[in-house]
Amino acid sequence: MTNPNPKSNESSIDFPELLSRVDNDRELLLDLMSIFKEDFPRHVRELTDVVATRDYKKIAVVSHTLKGMLANLAVTRAAAAAAKLEQLGRDNGGEPEIADALGAFQREVLSLLPEMEAYMAEVQR
Amino acid sequence: MKILIADDEALSRRLLEKTLERAGYEVVAVENGRAAVRQLCQSDGPRLALLDWVMPELDGPGVCREVRGQQNDSYVYMVLLTSKESKEDIVAGLESGADDYLTKPFDADELKARLRTGERILHLEGRLVEAREMMRYKATHDALTSIWNRGVIMDLLGRELMRSQREAGCTIVLLGDVDHFKSVNDTHGHLVGDEVLQEISRRLLLSIRSYDFVGRYGGEEFLLVLNNCKPQFAEARAEDIRKIVSSRPIQTLAGPLNITMSFGLLLSDAWGVRPVEELLNEVDAALYAAKAAGRNCIRVAKPPVEPEMPLVSVREPAQHSR
Repeated sequence: MTNPNPKSNESSIDFPELLSRVDNDRELLLDLMSIFKEDFPRHVRELTDVVATRDYKKIAVVSHTLKGMLANLAVTRAAAAAAKLEQLGRDNGGEPEIADALGAFQREVLSLLPEMEAYMAEVQR
Repeated sequence: MKILIADDEALSRRLLEKTLERAGYEVVAVENGRAAVRQLCQSDGPRLALLDWVMPELDGPGVCREVRGQQNDSYVYMVLLTSKESKEDIVAGLESGADDYLTKPFDADELKARLRTGERILHLEGRLVEAREMMRYKATHDALTSIWNRGVIMDLLGRELMRSQREAGCTIVLLGDVDHFKSVNDTHGHLVGDEVLQEISRRLLLSIRSYDFVGRYGGEEFLLVLNNCKPQFAEARAEDIRKIVSSRPIQTLAGPLNITMSFGLLLSDAWGVRPVEELLNEVDAALYAAKAAGRNCIRVAKPPVEPEMPLVSVREPAQHSR
């Protein structure tokens, strides 16, 4: 199994890239993060469910959505992990490979929401 | 300019919406492909569209295919948003009818630049449509009077006669000629003559229903086609039209002129199935009779015998809208 864990002190979000993407509009950024906080956990639960039921088509669809959300917020490593899951779903990848890829994805996003919360709190202060 | 965003993912939709609003677009955002097609096929719908490739109900390429298949009046410039970067995917996207594609996550400057390209193409298309409409107008309307020209009014006459025969109805054919028009030209000049023709056209147009037709048949001759008429009221209607033309003087550069018209009248139901040319000869003869009777009056073309069984059918005319 690969270990794509980021270094603990390394941010999951590429903030300079993200700020440039929203044209330094912090209000928009908070807006996007709010949408993310609401939608992301639901999609992750759905991904876990479709992996459990080995529904490859849905694995590809849900991973695609997650990849898009993460890429839009410049969460590049997690987006790459979602892209891998999407590809495995498309290729009807083997069960162990999908389980590994899911694990890698989950590790990538583990610190994402707390990191986002902290950033939002800082901006709103 | 109005632009459509179709993306099922709320975050991406919000980011696009804000980016485009900042760029001055009026944004319409929808969550799926079906809603996108509905928006784009409205007559006043957006003509620029950003479509996510993967969407529920109908994907981006599906939207492109449906919009292209609907033959809308105005061109819609569609850009596919995709994370698919393989050559095959891009070819498939463009072959579905998309004009361009952008890979996600998009770069705001690139997005705006590509949309400006779309706007340029739409602007060019607008100018071409305008030029085509102008040419169509010129090809169908009389340059002086702006009513139907001879070719079109003849086609419309043929079409209405066919319809009357099919529906066992009656079409009134009125051929009018301005009385003493030559002397108007000789006395006051051609500019005044033109003014007279323009005002007569206007009065004739005012005297008919929205679904009747009037065209310039020749120099000072006008052909009116009044469809779906009751034969017993035909002469009264023709009289009304004659009076509307002569009711008050026409204001010209040479001052007010009293102008009258003579008319030949033909009721299609009295003539059975005849070629258009034959009916026109008959109504022309009736017009000649009106002139001989002292002008400013109407004479009816009467068939010599009872209507016969069809011998020659009326020719199929070209299609024209009023």
